[in-house]
Amino acid sequence: MCEGSGSQKDIYLPELATIRKKQKFTRLEMYYHVELDSEKELGHKAGQFVEVSIAGIGEAPISISSSPTQTGFELVVRNAGSVTNAIHNLDTGAKIGIRGPFGKGYPVDELKGKNIVFICGGLGLAPQRSFINYVLDNRDQYDDVEILLGTKCFEDRFYVDEITKWAQRSDVNFVETLDVGCDQWKGNVGVVTTIIPKVKTDLSKAHVLVCGPPIMYKFVLMSLAEAKVPKENIFVNLERRMKCGVGKCGHCQMNNQYVCQSGPVYRFSELGHVPEAI
Amino acid sequence: METVFISQLKALLDAVAQQMVVFTPTEVGDSFTYARYTHDGEVKAVLNPVRTCSPAKEFLFPMREIAAVFPEAISPEEVQPFAVFGLKDCDLKSIQILDRVFYEEEFHDPFYISRREKMFLISSDCYDPKDTCCCTLFEGRVFPLKGFDLNVSKIKDGYLVEAGSTEGKMFLHRNERLFADAPSAARAERDRNRQQAQQQLEQINARYKLDRKVEEIVLESQDSPVFDQVATGCVECQSCTRICPTCHCFYLFDTQRENAFGKMKVWDSCVRQDFARVAGGENPRKILGDRTKHRLMHKFVYFLERYGIHMCVGCGRCVDSCAGEMDFRDVLVRLNRELVNIKGRS
Repeated sequence: MCEGSGSQKDIYLPELATIRKKQKFTRLEMYYHVELDSEKELGHKAGQFVEVSIAGIGEAPISISSSPTQTGFELVVRNAGSVTNAIHNLDTGAKIGIRGPFGKGYPVDELKGKNIVFICGGLGLAPQRSFINYVLDNRDQYDDVEILLGTKCFEDRFYVDEITKWAQRSDVNFVETLDVGCDQWKGNVGVVTTIIPKVKTDLSKAHVLVCGPPIMYKFVLMSLAEAKVPKENIFVNLERRMKCGVGKCGHCQMNNQYVCQSGPVYRFSELGHVPEAI
Repeated sequence: METVFISQLKALLDAVAQQMVVFTPTEVGDSFTYARYTHDGEVKAVLNPVRTCSPAKEFLFPMREIAAVFPEAISPEEVQPFAVFGLKDCDLKSIQILDRVFYEEEFHDPFYISRREKMFLISSDCYDPKDTCCCTLFEGRVFPLKGFDLNVSKIKDGYLVEAGSTEGKMFLHRNERLFADAPSAARAERDRNRQQAQQQLEQINARYKLDRKVEEIVLESQDSPVFDQVATGCVECQSCTRICPTCHCFYLFDTQRENAFGKMKVWDSCVRQDFARVAGGENPRKILGDRTKHRLMHKFVYFLERYGIHMCVGCGRCVDSCAGEMDFRDVLVRLNRELVNIKGRS
């Protein structure tokens, strides 16, 4: 027989939450503002994720795209499978289940007083935005802030009103590019690495936060190596199949790391012994 | 610890069965699986000479179980006490390994824990190891030193029963009329039997001896072509991970019955092609050789790094069950040989 167990809280049991706002962002992405029915705040840190449940259908890990400094929380959900498709079909007022927040998130305190460069590709903007808005809400605590954003095409841009405001701020250097240009677009055209030279701060002394599709990491990390950014100052946000969220089910495991616990944000220098990471 | 003598196994199991449900090994072909013990003799009291075919994890982490019900939550506390007889040292170690995972820090798995706390573990010595048994390669033995409530050792005229926990001791005291003192000759006989079985097992595994620690060999073989080569024989049946007493990967899936929704925990396997695939279609381990490597790495390297113990107990069930006839001991020997050759050349 085995002695004392401590907490008997069910780690697999979702908490009820309600969709307060829903907005179509792009042909694949939908925006949600969610509040827990308990009226408590989620209490997340920038860069963490939640498991979103649709009763009877399934559960999917979704990054929290809002800063902990605001009430409720936001999710940007790409329709990429049966669960996310079901989420897309939900309307304002619908009930969903939430487990989490899980994961480690961004080193919010460590980066205070530092120059920060965000490099976002596509849907990678969503998790990064949780920290971007945290930084902007606490702007005096951080030094230079620069945001590079690469999106496939004009129609795929999201949080457009907000990024327009970032672009207008004098205390942020915001640079945006599209992989493929079009008539409506007057800005930069090219993949996100082509706008890295537009960073104003000395990259070799900056802290760089990268989030985007797998292919993007390869090239961005090459550019950052050329710019002599120390690996200790680079943080990557990795996508894995976080199924249970509590380091047990094995789906998100890459080498000895359970991404749902030790990630999804990793210091690049700590991935030297994790060949499956990138 | 307290050790006593009993002449018949049936008397022991009957006494346990008066208090709780007992699962006992029962012969199926040339191996053993568990069945519910009945005192009427339908399921006999038999001491299995070697570990059962099915893993002990089934009692704590069943193949399929409800992990959550909502909106009306269910309590996991309704498990009744139960006993499992015939566990071996490898089985007890496998439970200690699962304990590490499911009792971890703030993430306690209440369903595992509710069963674990009600489980009365009656282990026994191995007296006729199989060719696939290999616990001695991983610091295991043919008899347990800890982790049991009671341990049973077969001797010529009966059985020695040792208590390994407070509950075990209490059981012996409560039922003292069943037991006699264990004479020193009987203890000596038990020790001789153990030594003999241990030697037999060491002989079986003599040719699988490695030159270095298994975790060093596997880790340094990160880029070895051996994983891809042995994977060619794998048919992805996943039996190795299902039958493994320590593999604990699972899939959470949602289900519905009338107005209640549930989350089910179902065994899953890292050998399965889509196991790690993400929603966008990316798959970090789409190559079978990488999945073969991952399984061995997890057993011998990653788990050790995370929890400080190996995840393989050397029970050999995966070798028995493999449709592709892969013996991980052969794989380890190949990796070992390869490293020795590389070193020899440089």
